[in-house]
Amino acid sequence: MIIDGAPGNQQPAFEPDPRRLAAAQFQRANLTVPELWTYYCGIGGSADELVLDAYLNEMMELPPLQVDLLHTAIKEITADGT
Amino acid sequence: MSEEIDTQAFQYRGGRTESREDFILQLQDLILDSSDIHDFLTDMATIIASRLSHSGNQISCGITVIRHKRPTTVAASDSRAGSLDELQNSFGDGPCLTALRRETEVYVPDLEMEHRWRKYTVAAHAANVGSVLAVPMRLQASAQAVAILYSPTKQALSSHDIDAAESLTTMAAKALDLALNIAQLRAARDDLAAALKSRTVIDTAIGAIMAQNRCSRDAAFQILVKTSSHRNIKLREVAASIVSSVSGEREFPTTYDE
Repeated sequence: MIIDGAPGNQQPAFEPDPRRLAAAQFQRANLTVPELWTYYCGIGGSADELVLDAYLNEMMELPPLQVDLLHTAIKEITADGT
Repeated sequence: MSEEIDTQAFQYRGGRTESREDFILQLQDLILDSSDIHDFLTDMATIIASRLSHSGNQISCGITVIRHKRPTTVAASDSRAGSLDELQNSFGDGPCLTALRRETEVYVPDLEMEHRWRKYTVAAHAANVGSVLAVPMRLQASAQAVAILYSPTKQALSSHDIDAAESLTTMAAKALDLALNIAQLRAARDDLAAALKSRTVIDTAIGAIMAQNRCSRDAAFQILVKTSSHRNIKLREVAASIVSSVSGEREFPTTYDE
């Protein structure tokens, strides 16, 4: 990304996108999207699988609660070691 | 399929005649009986090995399956083939992996004359292997598999034997495809059943929090998520303890139980 100081570029350069963080953790967990979605749905998540996939690919935003639930899901699965 | 192909029989030097149909029936029984992929592969490798062995040439068979985002599964008809397959995967190179990458069979009639895969050939030689044949199995599922045959003697397989091995693995690949599909569906079903169970507990706890705090569903969820991450306890367990503190129930049956 080129930061040229132009107005409208509101993203601070060193604040990592939480989506990128989630995507990296998801990659490390060696999971498929359906597996992640199933777990996320099991803890009360309400976004569908396609939206989850889009979020992880930085193409869509999720409501804050759904973001928290998704991160919780990834954290819990990783802790299980599955 | 014509009558002629159905009843075509394999004739081995050992004098044993077994039909294609027998092999297919055995494979079908395996699919129905095996509880997991590893058991299935082990039995399949054993059958293939015994079908290709004849007096004076004892063949061992190993099968390696590589699935997307899953650990590699290795199964073998005996411990010799099993340990050699594991070894090859740990080296990251060998006839079996070459066959996978090139999608064609690899036959090494004499391991002593083989200069590829140096580490592997040394290990295989130490395990008293003379010749090796690796045959890739074509699968529709998002997985790759290869069958590998080990013989203690050099030049152990005639072109006839190689044809027989290829035709066996082609049939075995179909059975493996089915078994992989069933395993994948079963795993997805188990995950969904677990998710439904966990969600029931969590939704009940959300209701309890909403009633106690007079808050919205989202706010109740936030409380639950925060509690879980602060105490480093799983969301489902926090929810279960909330439910049991309200009603005294620890476990409650869900309608999704079979």
